Amino acid sequence: MTIGRGVFIFVVVVTLAFFSYNAQRLVRYMRTVGRPDDRSDNPVTRIRNLILIGFGQTKILRDPVAGSLHALVFWGFVVLTIGTGEIIISGLFPGFSYAMILPGPIYALYTLSQELFALLVLAAVTVLLYRRIVVKPARLQGDKVHSGDAILILSMIGALMVSLLSLGAFEFALHPGSGTIFQPISLALSHALTGLPTWGLEAGRATSWWFHALLILIFLNYLPYSKHLHVLTSLPNTYLSNTSGPGVKGAMSYMDLEAEGVEHFGASDVTQLGWKNLLDSYSCTECGRCTAACPAHITGKLLSPRKIMINTRQRLMELAPLATGDFGEFEHPQLSAGEGGDAGDATATAALQNTLLDNYITEEELWACTSCRACVQECPVSIDQLDIINELRRSLVLMESRFPPEIQPAFESMERNGSPWAFNPGDRGKWAEGMDIPTMAEMIERGERPEVLFWVGCMGSFDDRAKKIAVAFARVLQAAHVRFAILGQEEKCNGDPARRMGNEYLYQMLARDNIETLDRYGVETIVTNCPHCFHQIGNEYPQLGGNYEVIHHSTYIEKLLEENRLPLNGEGKQLTVAYHDSCYLGRYNDVYEAPRETLRRSLPMMTLVEPPRTRSKALCCGAGGGRMWMEETVGKRINAERTEELLATGADVLAVACPFCMTMIGDGVKGQDSDVPVYDISEVVAQQLL
Amino acid sequence: MKIAVCIKRVPDMDVRFKIAAIGNAVDEAGLKFDMNDFDSWAVEAALQIKDRDAATEVVIVSLGTDAVQETIRKALAMGADRGVELKTDHIPFDGLAIARALAAELKDGGYDLVLFGKQSADSSNGVVGAMVGELLGLPLVTAISKLEISGQKGSAKREIEGGQEFVEFPLPAVLTIDQGLNIARYPALKGIMAAKKKPLEVKPAQLGAQTVTVTQMELPPERAPGRIIGEGVAAVPELVRLLQTEAKVL
Repeated sequence: MTIGRGVFIFVVVVTLAFFSYNAQRLVRYMRTVGRPDDRSDNPVTRIRNLILIGFGQTKILRDPVAGSLHALVFWGFVVLTIGTGEIIISGLFPGFSYAMILPGPIYALYTLSQELFALLVLAAVTVLLYRRIVVKPARLQGDKVHSGDAILILSMIGALMVSLLSLGAFEFALHPGSGTIFQPISLALSHALTGLPTWGLEAGRATSWWFHALLILIFLNYLPYSKHLHVLTSLPNTYLSNTSGPGVKGAMSYMDLEAEGVEHFGASDVTQLGWKNLLDSYSCTECGRCTAACPAHITGKLLSPRKIMINTRQRLMELAPLATGDFGEFEHPQLSAGEGGDAGDATATAALQNTLLDNYITEEELWACTSCRACVQECPVSIDQLDIINELRRSLVLMESRFPPEIQPAFESMERNGSPWAFNPGDRGKWAEGMDIPTMAEMIERGERPEVLFWVGCMGSFDDRAKKIAVAFARVLQAAHVRFAILGQEEKCNGDPARRMGNEYLYQMLARDNIETLDRYGVETIVTNCPHCFHQIGNEYPQLGGNYEVIHHSTYIEKLLEENRLPLNGEGKQLTVAYHDSCYLGRYNDVYEAPRETLRRSLPMMTLVEPPRTRSKALCCGAGGGRMWMEETVGKRINAERTEELLATGADVLAVACPFCMTMIGDGVKGQDSDVPVYDISEVVAQQLL
Repeated sequence: MKIAVCIKRVPDMDVRFKIAAIGNAVDEAGLKFDMNDFDSWAVEAALQIKDRDAATEVVIVSLGTDAVQETIRKALAMGADRGVELKTDHIPFDGLAIARALAAELKDGGYDLVLFGKQSADSSNGVVGAMVGELLGLPLVTAISKLEISGQKGSAKREIEGGQEFVEFPLPAVLTIDQGLNIARYPALKGIMAAKKKPLEVKPAQLGAQTVTVTQMELPPERAPGRIIGEGVAAVPELVRLLQTEAKVL
């Protein structure tokens, strides 16, 4: 074995050196091109994400079939990597075995785990190959999305498993009696080999060993050229994923508009994205779960979150060799090809002139986004596609004033009137006339302080349908004798529409005005019926120094019901109700149970039914991300798609917990010529008040 | 080419106005101010000429208190080059006084075009642009909804009662802009940052004698609230009766 050993040491050194070269190249691309982005915060949340989403595979299991198969392959990889170590070490130091350092029972358990996982992985890989080649699920297809790379990777994994098992089988056939019941599969296979001559068995064992060991090293070196780079990046990517801390998700990144020396706001190219956005792009395996869940994509719009990620990677691969002076550039076809285009063909001059925006991602794609977070929710490796969309929108608006013309009146009205619609700001408190609801100013003047401030929002203040929600919720608060006030005409739009549409400047103007008002009154607790106000003030105002306890009315009413503070007609009606989850309540804030519990407690005889896409998989109503103010001319209307799903449950009543969902679903029901009523959960409760 | 755009700072019209205690002016407490819409279209018209010919200089002129600086900065953020504030302690009602002050500023400026909105949203006299044209002795076209400039000649379209009128004029000229010519661009943050560094000159306004003054202001009479008589066919006879006897429209 001395010649063999020498060859193997040479191969290991060369392959590890080549792998290290490629790995540092990719890291250097990411860190040189991307902007700094601190990911050292919230270590507890990060470790939790790593354990649950990374090792626990919780997000990939959201697709039960493909997810289970993938989880098997992943866990197999983790377990078998230990065995890989043994094989490589034994090549360097012949005769090495873990049996030399592990106690007997543990070594037996180890050998059993290798055998079982090798078989399970082989079975899973076979089904996955069948899926890729024969079934071809829709979400794995797309413009220039090819399965070749995946088939190659799956075949390599399969071959690794076969050679691992055959290695044991030849070993036991050569040395009958050496195998134990803790190596059942190799042992069983070895019986089939007993007829072979010794030289044949030795050749078989050597071939299996060399094939397995070399394939591992080839596999490792192929990864940096493959979209299956996620094998290496997914765990770090999950640990480093966007997290604003426990319970806070989806807060847009803080932007310092006064910063010295900043010449570009938002991002029009990869150089203006954070390095983590670029790591995200390495980690995308093009599984298409994001795109399959995207309401814009489902209804025929151009947007595909997967394409956003692939394009980011393509653009990085086009620019980074030039930006880093990397002259040892090798071909990396799978990293620069894919959905929506190829990055490999540009000349150096063109590569420097291209930008991610326009050359890869069009304006139309970006404005189709409802910011519903379904893509982020579905991504098994915790990629944040939405962050890139938001940064590109910011650049469009802040740098170029490029946006659909119909949102300009909304911007202008937010600036002039403090609401996205041209209503008289003096009329903001008008919905409450005759209800004996004091404004904050009136209450303070009387020398009183409210328990909570009711933040009404622009919809509740001005929209005819939503005003009824404000009235209903106020009646619920009054019935429970909650001492509350409103801001009246001192309230302004929370700024969420401006922020989601990329207008950070306008957003900060509105948010700072509101924070000034809230702090002037020393407001501590805010309750609101609008999930956008709820998310924005609670989760994003802290970036600007506004810190308040903000409670959505679903949670607040549930608490009032639980404390028996609401005098209700105990029986209620016998109804079937379908509840539609709001994105900013559900996916952004994990509030799924409170609105349902509120319905159950106020209507004890009700049957709650769920549409197929529900809770964290719910389909957006189509109003978020500023889509409320934009035309929807391409494809099917999102609200129509969602309303059809809700009506298909056969419910007598549709319930929502967001005034924007109310408008969209209400319009959807009218569009279906249906007379099923749509109620806000607070209206359902108010109807049951004695 | 050198273009002057005269703009006015006006209160936002989406509010309910109150009359100030002195009785002849609007109570400005709580009002939001912005550029007059017609004037913003005039700024846009000038910037569109500048977009085609980068050598164009666009100068913003506004008469008023120092508060107009904010409005001038907005025009600079849209892309104009520099601003001139003609400072007064208040904006007079007398259009001729304003026109004289503006003409004094504009007459030696060497402008090829002087643009105005056709009227202001607050006083709605619609005379200042025309008066400046007269005082400067330049060709004047009012209320244009389409504009083309080529060389030292211009052509414009005007919406008139029941039709459209096409006119041609030599430069320099004074134009007032009607709705429909364009949609004013939205200032990007990049423009807002750049506007902070653009020159803004403050000069005293030479208003001269003011001959017209407002003596009193009144709000329009409150409209009686609508009435619901009933629903469906049963309500029709009563509706017809009321339309005949009370509203007297049938």
